[in-house]
Amino acid sequence: MWNMGCQYLDELHELWLLGALSEQSSRDLPEHLERGCPHCLARVREAAEMVYLLGLASKPVRPHPRVKTAVLNKISHKTAPHG
Amino acid sequence: MNKESPPEELLQAIAQGDVTALSELYDRYAQRVYGLIAHILPARQKAEEVLEEVFVHLWTEGASLHREGGSVLAWLVVTARAAAVERLRGRPGNLHKVSPLVPKAGSENGNVAGARKTMGAGAKSPGGKSEANKTRPAEAAGSATTRLRLTWLPLPKEITLIDDRMVLLHKAIRQLPPSQRQALDLAVFCGRSEAEIATEMGEPLGKAQRSLRAAVTFIKHRRRAVCGTWAANI
Repeated sequence: MWNMGCQYLDELHELWLLGALSEQSSRDLPEHLERGCPHCLARVREAAEMVYLLGLASKPVRPHPRVKTAVLNKISHKTAPHG
Repeated sequence: MNKESPPEELLQAIAQGDVTALSELYDRYAQRVYGLIAHILPARQKAEEVLEEVFVHLWTEGASLHREGGSVLAWLVVTARAAAVERLRGRPGNLHKVSPLVPKAGSENGNVAGARKTMGAGAKSPGGKSEANKTRPAEAAGSATTRLRLTWLPLPKEITLIDDRMVLLHKAIRQLPPSQRQALDLAVFCGRSEAEIATEMGEPLGKAQRSLRAAVTFIKHRRRAVCGTWAANI
């Protein structure tokens, strides 16, 4: 499944997950992944980890306690989709 | 359930409707998630609204996440980033629509997806699929809601050392030339496309693309060190 398309796409996985790619490239990569390319599926998992890491680069900030109260109030009115 | 419960155990409890489990995960991760959201959205009210949406969304998606075995914190971080970027770009909405996570269990081909299907050993299939379980059509460039499937999320065991190695990630980011760092910042924290980054930086598209891709490549090559599996001195 590895081909020239993979080489072209290899540097794009992170940018795709970040939503930074042009429209054409944004179409190429998912179409390629849908074909089940094992190399690119491994790469996109690696890219997902990097997107997560970059998100963690921000400094932690303590939210106001009212947010937690609001969350708990809201979920108390929701039915959890139990597994 | 006690304070030392692993996140995966708490997630399983959430899937069973345990509100205290969500409360514990909130206490554990809200500061990190809010730090990211507040970085993207300086307006406090908007940032708090997004934080609330993300944790409420965790309540409804906990069963799917538990089934796939992905890291809870990774899910929270990528979901929070997408939701905050959407809000920044003036596209607030239902998290089922803006979430980058599209659980699509059983529909992927390939070894990676197949391997992950075994990770949620013991987890039962949900009784029904939520809206987020449906595949969404390809989205336009520049959207921060590019599809990131649950099966692609890092597993908890893959990122156990990340907390200890974040200092290395910060160091790697600081080593980037200013233009590359700016391009990366615009992509990660503003959800800008390459074309938008070029406009904001006042540079030709090709130059902006090179800056962003060089930054990503630089960080990518140091990713293993951050994850504790590579001994490179960065």
